[in-house]
Amino acid sequence: MEEKKVLIVGGGLEGVGAALEKAEEGAKVTIVEKFPTLGAERIPRDRLIKPDDAFINPDLDKVRNDDNVSILTYSDIKKINKDNGKVQAHILKRSLRVDNSKCNDCKACIKVCPVNMFDDFDEGFSFRTAVDYFNPATGEYNIFKEDMPVCQRTCPVNLDIRTYAGQIADGKYLESLATIRDRLPLPGSIGRVCPHPCETACNRQYLDEPISICFLKRFVADVELEKEIEPVYETPEKKFSEKIAIIGAGPSGLTCAYDLARLGYEDITIYEALPVPGGYLWVGIPEYRLPKKLLQREVDLIANMGIDIQYNKRVGKDISFDDLRKDNDAVFIGAGCHRGLKLRVPGEDEYEGKGIVDCVTFLRDQALGNPIEVKGKLIVIGGGNAAIDSARVGWRMGFDEVYILYRRTKKEMPANPWEIDAAEHEGVIMQYLAAPIEILGKDGKVAGMKCIKMELGEPDASGRRRPVPIEGSEYVIDAETIVPAISQGADLEFLGEDHGFEINRWNTFDIDEETGATNVPGMFAGGDVVTGPNIAIQAVAAGKKAASGIHEYLRNK
Amino acid sequence: MNYEKEKRYIIPFDDVPSPRAEMPEITVDERRGNFVEVETGFPEDMAQTEAKRCLSCRRCLGCALCWAECKPEAINFDIPDEDLDLEFDEVVITRGQENTFQAFNTDLGYGSYADVITDLQFERMLSPTGPTDGIVVSPLDGEVPARLAIVQGNADGDEEHLLSSLVLGVNEAIIALDRTEGLEVSLISPVCQSFKDQFLADAQKVAGLNIIEGAPETAEKKKDGDSLTLTFSENGNSREENFDMVVALTKPEVSSEIKSLSRKLEQDII
Repeated sequence: MEEKKVLIVGGGLEGVGAALEKAEEGAKVTIVEKFPTLGAERIPRDRLIKPDDAFINPDLDKVRNDDNVSILTYSDIKKINKDNGKVQAHILKRSLRVDNSKCNDCKACIKVCPVNMFDDFDEGFSFRTAVDYFNPATGEYNIFKEDMPVCQRTCPVNLDIRTYAGQIADGKYLESLATIRDRLPLPGSIGRVCPHPCETACNRQYLDEPISICFLKRFVADVELEKEIEPVYETPEKKFSEKIAIIGAGPSGLTCAYDLARLGYEDITIYEALPVPGGYLWVGIPEYRLPKKLLQREVDLIANMGIDIQYNKRVGKDISFDDLRKDNDAVFIGAGCHRGLKLRVPGEDEYEGKGIVDCVTFLRDQALGNPIEVKGKLIVIGGGNAAIDSARVGWRMGFDEVYILYRRTKKEMPANPWEIDAAEHEGVIMQYLAAPIEILGKDGKVAGMKCIKMELGEPDASGRRRPVPIEGSEYVIDAETIVPAISQGADLEFLGEDHGFEINRWNTFDIDEETGATNVPGMFAGGDVVTGPNIAIQAVAAGKKAASGIHEYLRNK
Repeated sequence: MNYEKEKRYIIPFDDVPSPRAEMPEITVDERRGNFVEVETGFPEDMAQTEAKRCLSCRRCLGCALCWAECKPEAINFDIPDEDLDLEFDEVVITRGQENTFQAFNTDLGYGSYADVITDLQFERMLSPTGPTDGIVVSPLDGEVPARLAIVQGNADGDEEHLLSSLVLGVNEAIIALDRTEGLEVSLISPVCQSFKDQFLADAQKVAGLNIIEGAPETAEKKKDGDSLTLTFSENGNSREENFDMVVALTKPEVSSEIKSLSRKLEQDII
């Protein structure tokens, strides 16, 4: 009888223990570990120790000398499938670039290596070079070359930041832009609005301050504009004829179309409910942060790849979702979250449309050129970016005074801190630790709002301290316009009844994270309609995943 | 083998420290009553300087200096990666060596004060091959601490978390006490029943270790240069004590990579 073959994922304490156990039972064991060495030398968490025996793990020597255990370090599982009780795994074992049998441990290589990077094995207590003996206890050297830098790993679309920053440093601006466009079709727009999680992760912060990555992206996009270069996005010669429909011309839909066109699909139609492209980039992000002209140009470049964008076509109204489903080989739903959520306080329903307007409608109407009437004072309620945008738009529209009411403090505000600062700087009046309790009206119109002061109590499930009302602290702000900017939700009514999709309790789609596939074959979804209100680059990433998911689905059909 | 030494922007690091580029903006007066773009973009020289600040992390630059220096000729850039296709009858998924942890009580000052560290950082510090050769020093000033607090970061964690983090905390205290003369360690955490049953009696015998059953609340410095003032509850009363260094016990987080593997194979992580 053949020996049983066992794959152990992870070469830490647990992995090494499991490997020995399985080998003892007579199995052929393979350990796959992503780091260059096994790392079983850890302080135990299941027994008390003597001072000297903490970092000694006899299992480590045992597992290294066990003929039934083969160890694949510095290796990644690239693909894995379970089929008929057997597991097929495709594993990439990276080269160490060092023949450790020849190495005499002189460390000369480390002394000359010019790379200086944050050492995550030492939990940030030290820096290391690109030549490394990852775990000094084992004495194995390697030259660390292929892994993604932390900025790239943090970026939802894994932009190759160090390459495009390097190209800017070398003065190769258009090459830099090409590097960005390889993964992101909207560099000028994202380069303006992205809250740049990459910068939060940037290793340079441990030396002084993080690199201004996002604005470098904007810089190269602007260089092209300045030089009046109109690029043409190439599509391959080999075409695929399947029909694909995309719902929503927002960042996820546009990116999905872009990637599919680059794969060779030539029959792609985007159905957009609004008269303009960009989704929330157009109707949510104000002009002073992202000029529409620039967004339009980036969309045009995508459309020029042969993608048909049909405006004023609201799925569920102008065209039925069932027809779309029938007439297309695959559908991507990137409908976004365009429904402003309610405050749920007395007076809200009574004065709806008579001075109370949700932030989504407020920003959209302004962006489409039919802003609401400007009269008196404006109160915006909420602490996210939509609240800050509404207030800064209101300030520009010319309201007498603009307030933002937020129930926690500035520290807990989810909006980007630089946006909060800008709003304050422009003269928006911030009222922290305050919440609305009633909308007040006069002659059938909004006249003000009754508020209550709050204080911070115990932390809640999110780890933020829960605001609690202070009894007897009610006060009134006079205002003619009130804009709730609490949060946004998805509007899935366009699906009709009996649609068969799995919709979760947040009223968004449940999808396969790797492919963007919903539970209905051929139907994919991504962006805010899956995640709830989220940042644009996250939607771009979802569009990319869905594009490769759709490609895989159609090619294997 | 022949490698040309390519001169790149990364060498040498003569611009540390240097501030990051500030985005130029139009003035507040220029913004009133219009929707003109506020941020005007980097001029070319600013963009270049900023781009040169990039450390190009985790990248062997291919400069071949190490290869040139290596007398035994062990370094060989041409050793290729290997692609392997293997078949198995069984898979065991473990959490691996990724040292990520769940967010914990932000009021404990981790990330704000250099002398508040995690149990994972402390573990590296205690390792004889670690960044300080196993000597306990404050990351703030390099001084050897006299009073150290090991505190529970996830005080509302489940029994399993409390048990394993308490054992780790006691073990870290045992090593630190052995290495450091005159050190006093306080371990402040809710104590679960399983720890009481299996380990508490032995842990209480460790000389220099004081186990306080309670919940840490905040760690702060009354003014710059002060030691850390730790506020915690004990038997329902709030107490304050000063420490030179605070170690927070964390709850491990499984990486999304491993989680999705576990979902895909419909198999638990051990």
